[in-house]
Amino acid sequence: MIERVITIAENSYVRLFLIALVFLGLQTTILNEMRPFNVSLEVMVLLAASVGLARGSEVGAIAGFMVGLMYDFVLTTPLGLGAAVFAIVGYLAGLVHSFVHEPTWWSRASLAAIASGIGIILMAGAIALVGADGILTTKVLTIALVVAVFNAVFSIPTERLCRWAMVKEKVAS
Amino acid sequence: MAGQTFTRRRVILLLALTSFILITLDLRGSGVTNGLRDAFGVVFRPVESATRVITNPIKNTWNGIVNYEQVVAENRKLKDLVARQEGAAIANIAGIREAQELLALNGLPTLAGIDSCTAQVVGSTPSNFSQTVEINRGRSCGIRVGMPVLNAAGLIGKVTEVYNDRAVVMLITDPAYSLAVKVVNTPPTTTRPAGSGTVETSSTTTTSTLPPTTTTTLFIRGFQPGATAPTLAPTVPPTNPDGRPVVPNTSPLTVPPGADLPLRETGALEGRGLNRLPIVRFIENQPRFGEITIGSPVISAGGATSLAPPDIVVGTVARVVNRSGTLGPILEVTISASLDNLNFVRILLYQPSTERIPR
Repeated sequence: MIERVITIAENSYVRLFLIALVFLGLQTTILNEMRPFNVSLEVMVLLAASVGLARGSEVGAIAGFMVGLMYDFVLTTPLGLGAAVFAIVGYLAGLVHSFVHEPTWWSRASLAAIASGIGIILMAGAIALVGADGILTTKVLTIALVVAVFNAVFSIPTERLCRWAMVKEKVAS
Repeated sequence: MAGQTFTRRRVILLLALTSFILITLDLRGSGVTNGLRDAFGVVFRPVESATRVITNPIKNTWNGIVNYEQVVAENRKLKDLVARQEGAAIANIAGIREAQELLALNGLPTLAGIDSCTAQVVGSTPSNFSQTVEINRGRSCGIRVGMPVLNAAGLIGKVTEVYNDRAVVMLITDPAYSLAVKVVNTPPTTTRPAGSGTVETSSTTTTSTLPPTTTTTLFIRGFQPGATAPTLAPTVPPTNPDGRPVVPNTSPLTVPPGADLPLRETGALEGRGLNRLPIVRFIENQPRFGEITIGSPVISAGGATSLAPPDIVVGTVARVVNRSGTLGPILEVTISASLDNLNFVRILLYQPSTERIPR
């Protein structure tokens, strides 16, 4: 029984799910209360971007979809909207990172920031697309900027966490 | 390489398709998506509660650093406000009771006839694009989707998602929120100075100290509209020595008793997001309604398809944006409830027909 639990816990997507649960807990509690410049910081989009940076575009897209779907479950936006946006974020982060010749910590942090900013703008666009008025304002740019700066600061530890969680499974010899 | 590209394309296509199906199902109000949300809630709530307990000290420290001065100033201001409001509240309670009795007497719907459930706000929206709060009561208390939520100051929103012991409330400022409202405008005051035969119109607001109608209906025998109003002093018509009333030389102008009542106009209140005041559209540009006064109360209109029963206080008119032609003005509304400091709220167990989900 214990061996079975360990086997399940070794699955990279199960680990990511557990990490995403903790991130979601932080998102709905402390980050919801602490709003620098009146902006709610978005760690879920950081998680999606970090998986992309750590494990490439394909894994980034799947992980982004999963993280976004979990976020959708606690929001009032249509289910699947955040999933689609975060999948794009994870995919973009992984794709752009693959073009960087010798990635450094600051190049990864910059990419996480850019991907997060794009994610915020895409999210606002997607919500407006399904019929909500008054979303696409200049305030979105402020939100994107604040989120991008914050996510750049926290991208390195988050990426390490994602690298640990999404460890490549050993091929059986 | 070709195989890898094919797999990648297949993954992207699959994710896009899944998203599309989920969005479609959710927008059509499918029970499947609600079930998924419920199931995820069961897993996530304990994690959220634990995180809240762990992060509470950090949150308090942050609030202590950032908001201390503001809280102290606000506390002082609130103490002053409470002192001022206490007297007014007692008078208003008496007025509300009388109004409700009158409505009940005439068979009209009142808030007093609707059951309610009290809940506490336990969390707010984690997103930048939606304004919602979470409350600690749900289906077990009788709460259903669409029910109006208010606090002591007035309407704050409607229930959008219900779990067994929790519910999500969309705030009135959310861009997806819309509600039929009435704007109660104060009409121009009609006064007639004693002894003069002319009627003057002024644009000042009516106050309860002026009893303008008493002079106009004085000469109709046995008819004294408004005589039961508490502000009216008992008047005795002047009489001749033989007991008949004195008939003045000038022809008196009889004004119906309702002429000085506040005029009402309906419109649609729409939220516009955080830090932006909600607006009221579709107010008709009627001459009788006149200029809309800043500070005019905005209350729910009610009706079979409305999200809320009638006469719930929403707020007051903060700004009037006039538009050209026959288009009515757009009104910006200051919400009477403070949405930043929500604690205890009341959910009216009133579900509009438009929000009922067939199960």
